[in-house]
Amino acid sequence: MNAFPASRHSAELFRWRTVDIVVVALLAVAFGVVFWAWGTYVWAWGSFLGPQTESLLTGVWLLPAVVCPLIVRRPGAALFGELVAAVVSALLGSYWGLDTLLSGLLQGAGAEVVFFVTMYRAWNPAVAILAAAGAGIGEATHDLIVSYPGIDYAGRAAIGAAEIVSAIVVVGIGGWLLVRALRQTGALQTFPSGA
Amino acid sequence: MSVLPAPLAPTRPAFLTRTTPAARLVAGTAWLVAAIVTLDPIVPARLFLAAIVALWLWSGLPLRRIPARLAPLGFAILSLTVFSILLSSANGDRSLATMAQIGPARITGPAISAGLAIGLRVVVIALTTLLVFGPSDPTRMADSLVQQWHVPDRFAYGTLAALRVAPFMAGDWATIGAARRLRGLAPRGPVARVREAGGRLLVMLVSAIRRAERLALAMDARGFDSGVRRTHFRELRTNWRDWLTIVLSFAVAAAALFVAR
Repeated sequence: MNAFPASRHSAELFRWRTVDIVVVALLAVAFGVVFWAWGTYVWAWGSFLGPQTESLLTGVWLLPAVVCPLIVRRPGAALFGELVAAVVSALLGSYWGLDTLLSGLLQGAGAEVVFFVTMYRAWNPAVAILAAAGAGIGEATHDLIVSYPGIDYAGRAAIGAAEIVSAIVVVGIGGWLLVRALRQTGALQTFPSGA
Repeated sequence: MSVLPAPLAPTRPAFLTRTTPAARLVAGTAWLVAAIVTLDPIVPARLFLAAIVALWLWSGLPLRRIPARLAPLGFAILSLTVFSILLSSANGDRSLATMAQIGPARITGPAISAGLAIGLRVVVIALTTLLVFGPSDPTRMADSLVQQWHVPDRFAYGTLAALRVAPFMAGDWATIGAARRLRGLAPRGPVARVREAGGRLLVMLVSAIRRAERLALAMDARGFDSGVRRTHFRELRTNWRDWLTIVLSFAVAAAALFVAR
């Protein structure tokens, strides 16, 4: 309906404009391609480092769950972005496809909870880091059940910790810097984050 | 996008190409759940056989292209299996017999069996994904989710529109690279290369956002956000093949889990 900045003081908050939907979807598509390339070329080789070290590489999977909401600032953006990225990587032929939907759901929900608690009003680095940690917890829950169930407790604790640290560094700090860089180019003027 | 593999599309009509994507998602989820709830390798082994039969008889996919497609997965399976065996909690249990001793690492029977189960689990997930997503394209997936599961249509078709724009992003990536070389920005050494890739990625994302904004404007100009109830060009209904697929997949999942060896 309107392609111009939305008011932040009304029910407008819950109404996604077309531009919000398409931008989140396109960013998620871009991240889905990154997922596919990362999973095929980096992660598959990194897995020889052993599960604890390899878990430090997992933050990349969580980028859409934090970057998309930071840009459009709409309820549900974390879940929508992460799920679309998961579907796209499945459509591209990621082997994990179906399982990616499951982990995408948990990761998106982990970040969404944090944004929900702030009532979708606070968009500072601290919230970005907390949301990244939330997504990391969702991811660790999935991975410890699906990929590493037989490993001893110390090993699993190390894997979970490594995934959450990776999430905080790559997605919390990295994602926030990425959005800041995008804002400085003026590309986000259509969104509340670019004002 | 040249770097991406060509999609694995069905080459002939088959049973699964006539089912709706939503039904295949339900059916595939049954196998996914069955494969991840147990550490007994017999369950994923049975599902693996069932998936091979289904791919062969009912998917319509070009079978010869599948092994090459799944080859990179071999590394991930190998390392997951090996590390699951080496780091298994069962190895610390002194009441279990030692099967093998590698340096300080002691390996027990249950560890090997759990490691095999996890390796096979990944194979089952990959094949089930092919069965769910292989037989139809993204457009049908969106139609199916909107009509059968009542996913909000603006989100489903907005995503579909974004998917159509994706190939242009590969073009952007190449153009940005050429433009930077023209300006004399030639990275030397690994650190410079990473910085260069970061700069290119940022410009590509800016261009993607601009494209998405123009696309959204064009869609709104055509009444995409008019609020008028949308009718469907391709009508999809849950049919008997869907129900048969769902019932069979649940039966196979139950059999894989509960039939005694």
